[in-house]
Amino acid sequence: MMLAVQNLEVRYGGITALRGVSIEVAEGETVLLVGANGAGKSSLINAVIGLAGAARGTVRFAGRDISALACDGRARAGMGYSPEGRRVFPTMSVADNVLSGACGRGRAAQREAWDWLCGLFPMLRERAAQPAGQLSGGQQQIVALARAMSSFPKLLLLDEPFLGLAPVWIARISEAIRHMQARGTTILMTEQMARPALKLATRGYVMRGGEIRRSGSVAEIRDVALAEEYL
Amino acid sequence: MEGIVATGLIGISLGAQYALLALGFTLIFGILGVVNFAHGGFYVLGGYLAYSAVTYLGLPYALAVIAAALGTTALGYLFERFVLDHVIDDHLATLMLTLGLYLMMSSGLLVIFGPQSPAFSFPLTGVLRGHGFYVPIENLVVLAVCLVGILSIYALIYYTDFGRALRALADDRSVATAQGLRPKLLFPTAFALATGLAGLTGALVTPILSLAPHVGDPVLATSFLIVILGGLGSIGGATVAAFLVGMVEAFSAVYLGGSKGALALFVLVLIMLVVRPSGLFGHRVRGA
Repeated sequence: MMLAVQNLEVRYGGITALRGVSIEVAEGETVLLVGANGAGKSSLINAVIGLAGAARGTVRFAGRDISALACDGRARAGMGYSPEGRRVFPTMSVADNVLSGACGRGRAAQREAWDWLCGLFPMLRERAAQPAGQLSGGQQQIVALARAMSSFPKLLLLDEPFLGLAPVWIARISEAIRHMQARGTTILMTEQMARPALKLATRGYVMRGGEIRRSGSVAEIRDVALAEEYL
Repeated sequence: MEGIVATGLIGISLGAQYALLALGFTLIFGILGVVNFAHGGFYVLGGYLAYSAVTYLGLPYALAVIAAALGTTALGYLFERFVLDHVIDDHLATLMLTLGLYLMMSSGLLVIFGPQSPAFSFPLTGVLRGHGFYVPIENLVVLAVCLVGILSIYALIYYTDFGRALRALADDRSVATAQGLRPKLLFPTAFALATGLAGLTGALVTPILSLAPHVGDPVLATSFLIVILGGLGSIGGATVAAFLVGMVEAFSAVYLGGSKGALALFVLVLIMLVVRPSGLFGHRVRGA
């Protein structure tokens, strides 16, 4: 199992964001977390990468218990993270944004990542020197995704990659996710826009009120997921 | 005409010194979010370390400058790693700790060396004369070292993984950490780099200006002013503002008189804050 989360509980002050959540993601799978705003999807992603501290429960990654590992250690262990709202480094150039995900991996690895990503997204090379904060939302999402992909992670965590994007950008990002799937990358993604996300996923979990309410294949959760999209 | 050129060269030399100081100050603010009230203290400490290395250890001045820079770098690293790092997100605590460190440094130097300025002079003297200008050699040496220092910092920040990591942490610490960047390693290193720059500048400049336990006060004030003028956390802005302040100081000291120079600086900052509150190079970011 690439990722195994067991009985996870996350609290923000007096508010419990996740209550006893358990999920599993097998190697090479693309698993979708669906649910309305406040369902706990982002909290779960943040707890997996280590940005949100867990009050209870364990996170195992590639067979290793990483519950006590700091966020940067989890990323270096092989997790790539694209946050909700893109959160590119606004004052840094597009190239620096992308390569910040591959810092410390050596020039050759960075060059390989850059060439591969520019092949996928020609926009990166065209705007390499432009500050990322000046890009449009869709372009910023490409940069955030490329940054997460630049370390060739074993597990890619995508938090609302389609949020607020026009259909043309959703199509491009879906294409990039398919490339990662073709490389054998395991993906855990959250998305309120269930329609395009369901086309990419192999399995899914439906969340509500910080709990897992349902899980199964895409066909099994499709109806509930589409209903949640309108909540 | 000769006087204008000479004043201009001294202004550039002053600007280079200020740039080296302000780069450290803005690095700490931009990356760690800490206003380092001890920055002037590291400048003074650098001066006293160089003075002690020359006077008591008999080191050549150039080696003493390097020793002072290394000494302030080491102290900065240890202070961030073992003291500041524990409260790094608490602005009031970091403010009190850096202020406390400054008071400890200046008081300690006062106890050890006394209130009088020690006899510490620049090893090279003389004036370089050319067509239409003259400039003290010591200013040229300081200018050359400071320019090398500034270019090295730029290269480090903009052309290395280390610099890219620091800029990412400055922009969004939690997302940068989630990309695998290590704040526990990078923060003390950045702090040490900044305090090393302050120590280097102090070791270079105090033999020309003056060395006394309290000379860190104006250094802190000027660094602050430059960083505000340039745009908080902006490396390019701090550099441009430092040279601007150097020129204003030099020309106002010669043509208006010393006390009016300080006034001219504050007027400059006031105008800047009214016209462009984010400073010369304050960033405007597009949200989506």
